[in-house]
Amino acid sequence: MQELASRKPHPGGLVAGALALALALVLGGCGSATSSSSTGLDSSGITTAADAGEVVVKSATARPNEDGGSSVFGGQETRLTWEGTVNVDSGITEVTLALPDDATFDGSTTRVTVLDGLKRVNIDSTTSTSGNTITIKFAEAIPSGSLLRLEVTNMKFPTKGGSYSVTGTYVTGTGEKAELDASPKIKITELTTTQAIVNWLDGQAWVSAWNSVPFLNMFFKPQLLVTSFPSLFSGWILCLIIILVAFPFGILLGLVFAFMRISKHRWVRAIAAIYVNLLRGTPLFLQIYIAFFGLPMVGINMDNNILGIIVVAINSSAYQAEIYRAGIQSIPKGQYEAATSLGMTYRQTMTSIILPQTVRRVLPTVTSDFITSYKDTSLLSSVGVMELMMFSKNLTTVSGNITPYIAAAIYYLIITLPLIKVVGIIEKRLSADENGEGPRPKDDDMETEDEFEAPAADEKAKPSAFQALTAPFRAHTLSDGGVEDAI
Amino acid sequence: MPSKSKKTPIIEAPVVPPAMDAAVAAREAAAHDRELTNHHFKEGEHPIVRIEHLNKTFTDTPVLRDVNLDVWNGEIVVVLGPSGSGKSTMLRCINLLETPTAGHILIDDEEITGSKKTDVVKLRRNLGMVFQQFNLFPHLTALENVMIGQTKVLKKGKEEARAEALKQLDRVGLADRADFKPPQLSGGQQQRVAIARAVAMHPQILLFDEPTSALDPELVRGVLNVMRDLALNSGMTMIVVTHEMGFARDVADRVVFMEDGVVVEQGRPGDVFDHPQHERTREFLGSIS
Repeated sequence: MQELASRKPHPGGLVAGALALALALVLGGCGSATSSSSTGLDSSGITTAADAGEVVVKSATARPNEDGGSSVFGGQETRLTWEGTVNVDSGITEVTLALPDDATFDGSTTRVTVLDGLKRVNIDSTTSTSGNTITIKFAEAIPSGSLLRLEVTNMKFPTKGGSYSVTGTYVTGTGEKAELDASPKIKITELTTTQAIVNWLDGQAWVSAWNSVPFLNMFFKPQLLVTSFPSLFSGWILCLIIILVAFPFGILLGLVFAFMRISKHRWVRAIAAIYVNLLRGTPLFLQIYIAFFGLPMVGINMDNNILGIIVVAINSSAYQAEIYRAGIQSIPKGQYEAATSLGMTYRQTMTSIILPQTVRRVLPTVTSDFITSYKDTSLLSSVGVMELMMFSKNLTTVSGNITPYIAAAIYYLIITLPLIKVVGIIEKRLSADENGEGPRPKDDDMETEDEFEAPAADEKAKPSAFQALTAPFRAHTLSDGGVEDAI
Repeated sequence: MPSKSKKTPIIEAPVVPPAMDAAVAAREAAAHDRELTNHHFKEGEHPIVRIEHLNKTFTDTPVLRDVNLDVWNGEIVVVLGPSGSGKSTMLRCINLLETPTAGHILIDDEEITGSKKTDVVKLRRNLGMVFQQFNLFPHLTALENVMIGQTKVLKKGKEEARAEALKQLDRVGLADRADFKPPQLSGGQQQRVAIARAVAMHPQILLFDEPTSALDPELVRGVLNVMRDLALNSGMTMIVVTHEMGFARDVADRVVFMEDGVVVEQGRPGDVFDHPQHERTREFLGSIS
């Protein structure tokens, strides 16, 4: 006990080492003294037999290796810190730590710290690694009662993640080998592909060079771009859900108001005109605010996402009403006349003749409107709908980098660019249809009508015959008065 | 010729007899028959179309001024006249595509002016119309164009309608174009499909509103041949507004000459063409020949 007390003022490494050895000897000599002295170090208060004892595993932790996060990823270098209290009379000369198969200690460096009370004791050690085990041999036995801390840097946990305990063995001063208790479990997160890519990027010279340019680093940081995509994904999905639910309602409402706009009854037309013009004449942003802040004030509360869908659908319906109205009115009067001359009712004319043609004509415009509405869902971020814009805003705030916005832009473009292309294709096909392109009878087949007209003549006639056919169409695109031309 | 026809057997049946001499002979015989019966129309039965004091004004511009005209069942009436004379407007009044400003129109002794909407729909089933601009439904194939009236209005079954449509397309020589859409057809072919569409409804009266005016001259013959065939063989009453004097002379039972919204002169084609009674008729016939 005296020795313990006398040791305290000496902080020196060598001295401490020597004293530790002395302590070990002392402790080895008198077991009863050990138990009392060790109570200060070991909360479990283990009493040990003369020639035995055990190493009490205190803790095992891993340093988080996530960029700006607190997760420990498997398959990625981290630092394992293992602590145990030596309660073996003869001390220990060797410790082997083991992890499951997929972990690796290869390429790691180990720092050994031995504390006797608050004093650091220097003991030389040699480390050898073999896959998932690491063995540290001490030049001299670590005396009983000291705290042994092993910090293994640059080791890796299994890639697949999970909870792992550090196990292992130790060898006592008398040469006996014993099992170490399993450590508390360490939670390892599975290494995501994203993180793996980020890790890889971190190590690339070109990435460092790229990021050294302030502009590129601020707008197009590769690592952040890679991590942004999964983070923004759920926001993007919400965007898609909002627009895919809202738009069909917009189509239905739009059709209803389109028909109201061309109704015979003046007041029906007036109601539709007010609806369409108010919605088209005010910003969607304002409409969102009115809906989200106004409705709760009159006691109407509903889910943000549902309200968002409703606002987008109503706004879109006003634009679509105008598209459909213009589309219906662009169908030449001759089509109505031909249909009614066959004895069709107004309803039959509309459903079988006018609307099918209208659909073809408005398809490009409606698709453009879809693109607009899809982009407009971003405005819902201002009222807390967790869509793409909201996520990218948050991510940008956290990272202090604009790159997440670029990732959001890419998510928008994934949908809009192909649709823009589709609009172009539809337009081309429509004009080809109306210009009479496409398969035509070959001259070979023309023989069948030689009773009527020479094939050559028929071929020659195409352009002018077509001009005659489309005359009303073309007149319409120029002016509304074109309708009357067909009379 | 026969070897060619074998390749496409569907459209083998020619609309017009292959030998033109035979056609002319047949036509003349038919015209003669009709001339005989024409007499009978006028003396006995009621006219199938009776137009009385018909007036039509488009925003202060009078287009028809007291038009009177009777058409008998099975008669082929060709309406001639300079543009703006009101021929088309009169025709369009008959199936109420235009609402008369004043006067009466009776179809089969039934007053149609001022009738209810549902009656108008019913009335139009009895009246086929062929337009100057064809007005085929561009989103449907030729076959579907001819079928749609039958299925939607006459409520025929699809197969029945298809058979009828093919028959009518065959009649106008376009059975092999059944699956083509209108823009893929020439103007003449489109007009023939339009005729098939009207005929497939089996109306009592067929109205032609300048059916060849939008066509290039070389395509006119095919359409006129189809109309000739209908005139000779279908027994339908036809009222044809046209500028085709040859057609009028060959096919018409009666020629009606209109100018300035008034029927100026009418009579047998031979009489009107060779011995026009009125100065205006003479001027008109002189200007176009």
